[in-house]
Amino acid sequence: MDLIGLFPTWYEPAIGSGWVIGLIATIHVLFSHTAVGAAILFAVLAYIGMRDDRPELIDFIKKYGLFLLVFSYILGSITGPGIWYSTTVGSPRGISALIHNFVWKWATEWVFFVIEVIGVYMLVYLAGKLERRTYMKVAVIFGLTSYTTMLAIVGILSFMMMPGRPEQWFAEGGYLYGFYGPNTFAQLMIRTAFMFTMTAVVGGIVAAGLKDEVFKRWLLRRLAIVGGLSAIVGISLYPWYLGTLPSIAHLVMENRLPDYFTPSILIVLGAMLAYFAMTFFRPKLVTATVAGFATLAILVLGLWPGETVRESVRKPYIAGQYLYSNQVIGHDVPGMGVKSEIPTLEKVGFTHAHVFWPESQKEITRENTMDVGRNLAITACSNCHSLSATGIRPLKNYFPQQADVEGIKKYLLGALATGNTMYMPQIPLKDDEAEALAVYIASLNDPEAAAAHLDGDTTALLDNPSREEDQ
Amino acid sequence: MDTAMLYALRDPLGIPAHPLIFLILGVATWALHIAAVHVLLGSSALAIRGAFSGNDHWRRLADAMVNTAKVAVSVAIVIGVAPLLFVQVIYDPFWYTSNVLSAWWVIGFIFILIVATLTLFIFYALNHGLRTNKTRCPGSMIVAVLLFLVVGFIMHALSVQMLEPDQWQEWYAPNGVIDASGRSIHAFNLWRFGFFIALSIPVIGIWLFGYRRYLQGRNEEDSGYLEFLKRTGTRLGAIGTLIALVLLVGWMRGLPEDIAGFATGIWPIAAAAALIVAAAFPLLLGRRLDQGLWGYAPILVATVAMIVVATMREAVRWVTLFGVHGYNPLDYKIAMDWYSTGLFFLTFGVLGGAVVTYLLTVAWQAGQTEGTYTPSRAVNRIGTAGIVLLLLWIAQYFGFGLWTAYA
Repeated sequence: MDLIGLFPTWYEPAIGSGWVIGLIATIHVLFSHTAVGAAILFAVLAYIGMRDDRPELIDFIKKYGLFLLVFSYILGSITGPGIWYSTTVGSPRGISALIHNFVWKWATEWVFFVIEVIGVYMLVYLAGKLERRTYMKVAVIFGLTSYTTMLAIVGILSFMMMPGRPEQWFAEGGYLYGFYGPNTFAQLMIRTAFMFTMTAVVGGIVAAGLKDEVFKRWLLRRLAIVGGLSAIVGISLYPWYLGTLPSIAHLVMENRLPDYFTPSILIVLGAMLAYFAMTFFRPKLVTATVAGFATLAILVLGLWPGETVRESVRKPYIAGQYLYSNQVIGHDVPGMGVKSEIPTLEKVGFTHAHVFWPESQKEITRENTMDVGRNLAITACSNCHSLSATGIRPLKNYFPQQADVEGIKKYLLGALATGNTMYMPQIPLKDDEAEALAVYIASLNDPEAAAAHLDGDTTALLDNPSREEDQ
Repeated sequence: MDTAMLYALRDPLGIPAHPLIFLILGVATWALHIAAVHVLLGSSALAIRGAFSGNDHWRRLADAMVNTAKVAVSVAIVIGVAPLLFVQVIYDPFWYTSNVLSAWWVIGFIFILIVATLTLFIFYALNHGLRTNKTRCPGSMIVAVLLFLVVGFIMHALSVQMLEPDQWQEWYAPNGVIDASGRSIHAFNLWRFGFFIALSIPVIGIWLFGYRRYLQGRNEEDSGYLEFLKRTGTRLGAIGTLIALVLLVGWMRGLPEDIAGFATGIWPIAAAAALIVAAAFPLLLGRRLDQGLWGYAPILVATVAMIVVATMREAVRWVTLFGVHGYNPLDYKIAMDWYSTGLFFLTFGVLGGAVVTYLLTVAWQAGQTEGTYTPSRAVNRIGTAGIVLLLLWIAQYFGFGLWTAYA
């Protein structure tokens, strides 16, 4: 049997599953990166607090820790698995690829995660109860453990772009070649830098509420130094990161990113530096509201575009440069015994290879053409293209208003099915599938023309469901 | 959906160790997760009960249970990550299909859980010193519990939908027309859901014995309160077990015809026996309950009972998916990876063992100490060992990583 393991598709017409995943992931990045940076900050502050006998530092750790308990360790620990949940429904084979490559890494991260949660409760609820050296020891364990969670996840994030050492991984497989590569370390360093930026901004929310003005100024100034320097370091690492990306990612960036992207990132950086300068020179101006807005600005203007770019530049793949965004395996991975599914689709088409394809639509007829076309669009296109007028990259916008079925079909068979469209996966379509999909796409802009096509003589192929001559 | 189709849905990458390891880890971590959920639900319910009471013992218990619920929600979430991971490894065809078919509920799960947890924290923040202070906004805790039940129901439905692959096609494409909206819950079993939720009652009852022993360790002087805890714990254990067993019988009687024999097999009987023993164990201990560390033994026995229950749940899945549909999770393709497998077990057993032992010992002993707590030299050494192990872990990460990336 020529089956490929495609799952049902979840299609959300209003905003698209991609944006749902992106929204949850972006929020999680804010929570998690802030938590890691703060954990390391806590270790440093606990050390200074012990060395210089400064109980106010322990008190700050307690306050910031309590804030993080909800901000990062409740919301963060829900949105973390939340990314799994959203990718499970939005891209099941994408998350499956990551899980089956890196299950032990995630399980290892889970061990650290358990330690982290115990640690944060202890730092909050045993502050003042533990003698200082023990408190510091707990803080150091918390800080180190927190950073290991980032170490554990970053290679997985990197694999989404490409395997660490692509040639070796494709040839030999294995965890190490999948996880570690130049991109892994470039990404790790950038994330490390920005996590301190986020920690400094979010820390301002807590520090702004301190009653002791002298300590508050001391602390805010140090947060400003940490935040400002880390933002500069993070940006200066960007060229290194770009240098580790595959050539196709550069092509996408040159051709597909909106013009406003680079200026907007520079504006955000400038605004951040201005914020930290204000924090340093005029700490009195920092209130919880101001710091809260700065946090929101990072989320909306910094993290969201950053995550969007990360998602865009790995197209047409969703993981490891072998799994297309539409869930089809596009390349062999001999090292892992994985076979491309393109030949199967070329042989029998989606209608006969897809496990969940309705029996009544396996043969395409004049009557079911539109339904088959819609199902093909849901299956092969909707992960990246909304089928409605709203949501992520609406499909109808990629075809001229007056495009006729024949023209669309020609494009589908000539450029898409052969894999000759940049950023797009190769989507092999049988002749009748291409016609059905073309009819559906045409109907998005001009339903009457699509219906007229179905009524006309040019659909002779559709009256003959037999594919034997194709095979 | 025939067997070949189910196998086609497996990830062709295979898995990096023998599937039995993932199966065992899945069952064990699910047992711990559901136990934490039971403590969460049980402590929240007792907090509500106490918050509406004028009785000093009840109000004091409510005060303690709010704190318990606050920690239990974190524990339930963090432990829950593990079974969520392992189910995707060997049951991916079932888990992913079930999720996609109810996608909106899966996304809803995240947001409802966030709201539920924040609502619980609002009640906690408003009700410090519940023993002596007036209850404020008790509705928030009630809403939190109701929302926790909703997220529990969503997880329940996803687990039940996994077991009905012969229905999937009809759910996805009713009458041949694909419904990709993911807006429906397609299958649930109120007996099964009720059974797992009802276990919160005996579990929190047994938990009260542990809490009682903890107070004894702090030289609790209010013997009336200790007696109240014992009485309440015993009552909750007995009544709760009875309710759970009735629901278990209902679940077993309603099993599909092709696995109906499971109801009279070893696993339901073992689970029922384990639950009865766990509930009766404090009574069996008699006076020893107040001697040494015996006071904590009921929790240990209840943990074993939960593992038996979790194994029964896995057995239901096994007889359904293997027995009826021919899917054998243990023949998953293995792409053995010794490095990541070894690293996990070393991290879990050695590093995790040392660090968690240190942290819990410090937390426990600090809780039992009046004034500032200073750990013993032995405890300190475990902590130092934990830090060294963490540094070694980081060193090996960069060692293997840089070598692999650049050599």
